[in-house]
Amino acid sequence: MKKKGSLDYYLILATVAVLFAISIICIYSMFYFKLAQVQQMEPAIKAAYMSKMNTVISPFLIILILLLGICVPKRLLPTRWLVRSTVLLAGVALAFSFFQGIKMGLVVVLAAALILQVVVLILALVGSERLNFTKKGYWVRVGSSLLHLGMILFVLDLFFYKQQALHLILFWVTTVATVLGMTFCFYADSVVGLFRRKAQHLG
Amino acid sequence: METLLPLSLFSQVGNILMIILFGSACLAGASGAVNIARPKAVFERSTSILLVVVSVVFMVGFAWICWFHYQIYTLLPLELPSQMAEYLNRQLEMMNSKSAYGLPLYDAGNPPRYAIPLWIENEKYYFWFLCYTAMALVGHFRLRQHRLRGVLHLLLAVQIVILYFWVNPFQDPLPRFFVEVLPWFTGDMHPGEKFGLFMRLYPKMTFYYNASYMWFHPPLLFLSYACITMTFVTSVFMLIKHELPIEQMGYDFAKLGYFMLTLGMLLGYPWALQAWGPNWWWDPKICSSIMMWAVYSTYLHTRLYANKKSMWYFSSFLGILCFGAMIFTFLASFFFPGEHTFQ
Repeated sequence: MKKKGSLDYYLILATVAVLFAISIICIYSMFYFKLAQVQQMEPAIKAAYMSKMNTVISPFLIILILLLGICVPKRLLPTRWLVRSTVLLAGVALAFSFFQGIKMGLVVVLAAALILQVVVLILALVGSERLNFTKKGYWVRVGSSLLHLGMILFVLDLFFYKQQALHLILFWVTTVATVLGMTFCFYADSVVGLFRRKAQHLG
Repeated sequence: METLLPLSLFSQVGNILMIILFGSACLAGASGAVNIARPKAVFERSTSILLVVVSVVFMVGFAWICWFHYQIYTLLPLELPSQMAEYLNRQLEMMNSKSAYGLPLYDAGNPPRYAIPLWIENEKYYFWFLCYTAMALVGHFRLRQHRLRGVLHLLLAVQIVILYFWVNPFQDPLPRFFVEVLPWFTGDMHPGEKFGLFMRLYPKMTFYYNASYMWFHPPLLFLSYACITMTFVTSVFMLIKHELPIEQMGYDFAKLGYFMLTLGMLLGYPWALQAWGPNWWWDPKICSSIMMWAVYSTYLHTRLYANKKSMWYFSSFLGILCFGAMIFTFLASFFFPGEHTFQ
């Protein structure tokens, strides 16, 4: 259980707020789709409607990706350095967005998040105590790292869906990381028991 | 169709099972209501036996559905005359060369057969409620809280009543499927007409009925729906009373449900991309499923702070909202047009 008022707490609140906004847009789009009978219109009008909705929702998705980018280094860095790294990351992303488009800026954020998350996973695997985790326990930490790695890879997969081979690789790595992450995170005690029994059996 | 498939046998036996289920549901519902109203547990032993009986009958019914699907698989192959098969394969080879996702060539020695998943049309409700029954059984024996048990039994009774009166899978088995395939097996058609019908049935068989994702994407979601129902019940109890064992049970079901939901949605994603392209998320069902997943994720995150009084209530409110989102997601298929629609 955590202290109210920690950075983690506010990051969760911000994520909830963004998810809430996305949900409202989704509900609006569903009712609009039904009432305006968009499905009965010509494919070009339908595509234009979807494109318009993509434009409406994209700022919130960008904020969500940025939040993801902030959430990852919080495991590695103390609050002061976290703020500095966030500002640095935002600056680099802005520069890339300005010169090479928003999509490239977001890919930079995701790539940075991916690299940092891999570092978090490696540190969790070697049992480092320097990581800032809410919960204690080796397997919970490994599981949480894998679960968040899966999420980053999934968002990256959304960016590269047109490249069939890369998309499939990213998809399967995402699925395996997410499944292992949830197993370790949710059923850490059972995993520990299983490994102990295995070790006793071998010993 | 009766000459090809033992349809009436399937319906008759299935309806007997449904009557047993309905009778048991009435008893379970009545005992549930009494237990909710009373300060102390009543009919404790008999309701436990009743719940076991309901679970066993549900399982027998599911095995009966499996048998029926096996009959469809063995007795309803899509057979073509050899000349037509050769012509079809030439056409398919030409089509497949231009398409990313082609249809398999026709093999006269092993004609295409329907391997229909066990959770389509009304059978999906049967599977969903079967999952809930199994979880209610676990919940019943895990906590000896008579009011919680009462609510679990009452919800079970409501589900079986819905199944019996409105979505009985044995009453009129797989109506849409049989409307589609009936002309193939009963009609005396001109070869050109037969070929045309084959070209309508075969792609749907390949990409829908026999598609591999249909064997894991829907059942994982129905399992998660059952878990969400259990979390909903425990969340309602959390609003009324501060009882840690109930909260812990709700959290355990929430973890399992989240696991199933996330995996089910992930495994549906490559097919959604294939079928609908980059704008797949604007399908109403997918849109609402993502919202439900977001609410569920929030529920699991806020639970970290459940030691705070306000967060305890907020967490239970989210558990209830999650159930509301699930109902909304399910009903979206009936109300909103889209690729998952049942309209």
